[in-house]
Amino acid sequence: MVVTITAASGALALWPIGEAVTLSERQGDPQRGAYLARAGGCIACHSDAASGRPALTGGAPIETGFGHFVPPNLTQDETVGIGAWSVKDFARAIRQGIAPDGRPYYPAFPYAFYADLSDQDIADLWAAFQTVAPQQAAPGAHDIAFPFNLRFGLKLWRAAYAKAPATAPDTDRSEMWNQGRWLVNGLAHCGACHTDRNLFGGRDVTHPLAGNDDLPDGGKAPAITASALQEAGWSVSDLAFALKSGVSLDGDTFGGGMGEVVRDGTAWLSAQDRRAMALYLLDQDGPVSEETTE
Amino acid sequence: MTIRKLMLGGAMTAVLAVGAWAHSGATGVVKERMEAMKSMGAAVKALKPMMSGEAAYDVEAVRKAAREIAAQSGDNMTALFPDGSDDAPSEVLPTVWTDRERFEYLADALEQAALGLEQAADNGLHAGQSGMMGGQSGMMGQGGMMGGQSGMMGQGGMMGQSGMMGGQAGMMSADHIGQMPADGAFIMMTQVCSACHDRFREKDD
Repeated sequence: MVVTITAASGALALWPIGEAVTLSERQGDPQRGAYLARAGGCIACHSDAASGRPALTGGAPIETGFGHFVPPNLTQDETVGIGAWSVKDFARAIRQGIAPDGRPYYPAFPYAFYADLSDQDIADLWAAFQTVAPQQAAPGAHDIAFPFNLRFGLKLWRAAYAKAPATAPDTDRSEMWNQGRWLVNGLAHCGACHTDRNLFGGRDVTHPLAGNDDLPDGGKAPAITASALQEAGWSVSDLAFALKSGVSLDGDTFGGGMGEVVRDGTAWLSAQDRRAMALYLLDQDGPVSEETTE
Repeated sequence: MTIRKLMLGGAMTAVLAVGAWAHSGATGVVKERMEAMKSMGAAVKALKPMMSGEAAYDVEAVRKAAREIAAQSGDNMTALFPDGSDDAPSEVLPTVWTDRERFEYLADALEQAALGLEQAADNGLHAGQSGMMGGQSGMMGQGGMMGGQSGMMGQGGMMGQSGMMGGQAGMMSADHIGQMPADGAFIMMTQVCSACHDRFREKDD
């Protein structure tokens, strides 16, 4: 009898009720979070070593046709940084591109690529950012031209162009291919530069990674579709090594911003993740239609 | 003869007419530095398969390529970018003159890295033994993401300063770089190339 009751209460104790673990209850792993912050370009974009300011106190300005965007301070400072944020604010900012005060972010922040991050990913990132000491230094403010300075216009932009990334696992493919796809199409946001944009800065999702001749600073990002890469002669190991070293097939080294992507981003990834990205890039699925990107 | 052939013929004649524009079409100091860059590219191309483990490692070849790069960096490189030398088909950005200090810093950093690689040639490769440490953190031999708790938030750790060519301060000397595995030194060097290309070059193609 006692045994039965004990067993029953044990089962009762384990019987799950209500919702799954909420974001604020979830235990984050700061090391994994720091890794994701590298892979996602948080550190590269929100730091500007040349300015002499400490890491993550805000990035170098990005000049675009719409204005001058400044990646803000992401340290734990309560006024200029994110020290006063809750984990929910953080999750909404990253996955939905909405600031704690409810205003939409400009798409210079590539939040659309982060929409598929899991609660665990967010918790890990949150834990990593908690370790960044508060720093008052700030990089200055945006300077956006009319009418783009009116943020309500961004609601229309979001409706038209803020598509979720094509990262859902394909069970017919290998785990490595899926990991590469998750990185390339999502977190590492290759398409932010390598996919062309229209007049309104919306990405041409029917031609993903087909190259962009009109980067914010006037540069160009080449096509990195599977066919373009194969035609140029890239192999998986060449490409994986390029993501570590910045060395191209002909012995030239990357420039135009890709050097920074490697130096502050992909060079820090595990060899396996770089290989996964290369594997996926050389064997991508076909162009994504409008319907399937929802 | 089709119109296409006629036009092609015309184009060929035009090309032949400007004999001085053979090769890349560059002349003077622009041509000189394009050739210097090309020869450094060739040295990197020769090193790459050895550094990625795809070709047999040859200590002497590594030293030789490193020396070639070192000889064309530092002051020898910056001297090839005198004021106003941006004639077509140069791919130089005006920042090379407006941000001269940084350009000179990177040219010197390249020299130190290339001299460091020459010294590191004897150390052989790190890759392969590294497993999960394949990233930059492994190459730097310090606690990045797999290291101690402090790695993550400390300078040079995962969330910290971007490292070697971050600020103006703290350039690593050739002697320090020479202690690294050769592939680590190589990547350090190629990332200096990229850092410079990021800021000072705009590719035409």
